[in-house]
Amino acid sequence: MTRYDLIVIGAGPAGLSAAAEAAGAGLRVAVFDENAKPGGQLFKQIHKFFGAKEHKAKIRGVKIGAELLAEAEKRGAEVFLNSPVAGLYKEREILVRRGEGVGHYKGDAIIVATGAQENMPAFAGWTLPGVMGAGAAQTLMHLHRVKPGKRVLMLGSGNVGLVVGFQLRQAGCELAAVLDAAPRIGGYGVHAAKLARTGVPFYLSHSIVRAWGTDKVTGVVAGEVDGGWNFIPGREKQFEVDTVCIAAGLAPATQLLKMAGCAMRAAGADWLPVCSAVGETSLPGVYAAGDVSGIEEASSAMIEGRLAGGAAARKLGFIGPDEYEERRQVLLAALASLREGMFAPQKRGQISAQTDEGIDLSQTLLRKGYLEEGEVGKYPGVKPAAGIHPVIECTQNIPCNPCRDACPQGCIKVTGGIAALPEYDDRAGCAGCGLCVAVCPGQAIFLLNEDAGDGLAEVTAPYEFLPLPQKGELGAALARSGEKLCPAEVVRVKLAPAFDRTALVTFRVPRDFAMRARFWQKEAAA
Amino acid sequence: MRLTNHPILGPAAPGREVVFFLDGVAATGLEGEPLAAALKAAGVAVHRYTKKHRRPRGLFCAVGRCTDCVMVVNGRPNVRVCVTPLEEGMRVATQYGAGEGVK
Amino acid sequence: MSSERTRDFGRYVAAADDDVIICRCEEVAKGEIRRAVRDGLFTVHEVRRLLRCGMGLCQGNTCARLVRGIIARELGVAADSLVEATGRAPARPLEMRVFAREQGL
Repeated sequence: MTRYDLIVIGAGPAGLSAAAEAAGAGLRVAVFDENAKPGGQLFKQIHKFFGAKEHKAKIRGVKIGAELLAEAEKRGAEVFLNSPVAGLYKEREILVRRGEGVGHYKGDAIIVATGAQENMPAFAGWTLPGVMGAGAAQTLMHLHRVKPGKRVLMLGSGNVGLVVGFQLRQAGCELAAVLDAAPRIGGYGVHAAKLARTGVPFYLSHSIVRAWGTDKVTGVVAGEVDGGWNFIPGREKQFEVDTVCIAAGLAPATQLLKMAGCAMRAAGADWLPVCSAVGETSLPGVYAAGDVSGIEEASSAMIEGRLAGGAAARKLGFIGPDEYEERRQVLLAALASLREGMFAPQKRGQISAQTDEGIDLSQTLLRKGYLEEGEVGKYPGVKPAAGIHPVIECTQNIPCNPCRDACPQGCIKVTGGIAALPEYDDRAGCAGCGLCVAVCPGQAIFLLNEDAGDGLAEVTAPYEFLPLPQKGELGAALARSGEKLCPAEVVRVKLAPAFDRTALVTFRVPRDFAMRARFWQKEAAA
Repeated sequence: MRLTNHPILGPAAPGREVVFFLDGVAATGLEGEPLAAALKAAGVAVHRYTKKHRRPRGLFCAVGRCTDCVMVVNGRPNVRVCVTPLEEGMRVATQYGAGEGVK
Repeated sequence: MSSERTRDFGRYVAAADDDVIICRCEEVAKGEIRRAVRDGLFTVHEVRRLLRCGMGLCQGNTCARLVRGIIARELGVAADSLVEATGRAPARPLEMRVFAREQGL
């Protein structure tokens, strides 16, 4: 039996943050994780995070993971990998597998940060090899550098489905379609839009009837569902795919909390631990932080981890009441700002018809994943202007503002809360640097110069695929819907260190297509 | 099926190629990668056949939670190959049922 | 739930998707769970003791929520009104020889 001031279970965003916070206050901290690598899902999250500076916005999860791990270790937390926690008991004792045996450890405080697990819908053929969780595909691609398949069907249009769908495209897989049984896209519209413009079709109110194949999946029959989630006869579609990814939502991985006897409460289809504002459960000294206490983004998990780590430090007397309270207020405020906007956890299940600004939400965005050309102008980020200027196609209230901070000219305003729609202020004068295009985690900003001479316009779009286009290369300009519009020549490709691997591709199209062309597609090799 | 380069992650770190045996046939993978990744890269989809209905199963969660990917590794059945690092000379076998006929 | 004991939920009627596997580890089909409920097993605990769904190698990590949903639908109640199965160690598969080897750390 080894004793620690604090034992953290799970070395993901919440666990590492908790360990860093507590170890920084002087606690002797041990972190146990079942995986061979720390970071939880962070090292799989290669997209730029939403939020504000204090939430590490515009930084990719991989980098946040590395920073967090370095911070926790520098402050003296011991991280034990390949160490699955098999038992948690109310006396704050854990049973851990260590190598070919088991060890017992006791903490004066315990923070459970075990994250989430994927919900799986059952359908005929879902046990066939080739049908897998979206998380599995992400793990294969980003941790192990192996493609999950050649041609993939994604079931689920929440942020996991949309983000992993895009990542499959980045890894060079074909994405046959994104399906969702719900009538609306569940994740951020910007995540859907960046997939739709690469030509991926969305089928809402559709689910999988069955997957077929003998020793592995070779195809899927999908069907349209009615309001009662029943398949409508005669509305089936077939997809020939070798892989099916399931992204049907996440559930808190609460097994250890339940085992210890923490009070649980029903919340929708899930059971969540009853927690205080800093994550303390009904068992004194046992805390829950991150997705295990309720599914949110990794940004929120990191703050929850720090709150719990600080609370444990206070409880054990490592920090005084004033210092604790001051820190607690800062963290609670940061957490509250991440819970602003229409995707906030407290608004789950509600349907917004309008933005906070009173603008109608795009129904096409919610049904098909893209904005109609005619409706783009309704949003404050889109204003006609002479010369080069940004077009900010950000149409939902998401807590995120790196575009504002990125613009050296002060052209972009996000006023009235972090989730307000960004507004383009044409008085400030865009210099065309493209930083806003590169930092936008939703890849929703484009630069437009509608008068590039010869009746042509130049569109600059973010590009995160390989191979990068070359200057002078001829390809096709695609519309927001992924529809092929016209041939388009690349005139510039910029990849500055500040862009963090988001290339800026500028291509030339006839002026009439300036407000339609949003993606440059390489022509298939002849 | 290996991702040697990636627009965000960059080129993959070179690994040491090692030989292992799948149902007695030599195959190669990268030392230390999960066995499941080596099998995926080699195009192997079926890890086992179930006990009751003799249906094929493969990789499903890839993080050690679902236990669907289990195989017989070095003579030991029910090994989650998604969290088992590949070692040189490893003997991996398709699992039938709970590991019947394991030698 | 005790009043449910005397309530008549009607007899089991076969459905098109009864063959769909719900518990992947123990290969328990949806129809088996539906029939068990109609036979009078109204809790997650009872159903899993009879059919073993959620008692395989993964300990219900994948199917627990599905099983609860099916029982709830058969009973016509909300899924969150059904208590989840008791959590027990080991939360991950551990061979007995490992379990028995105390590291003395």
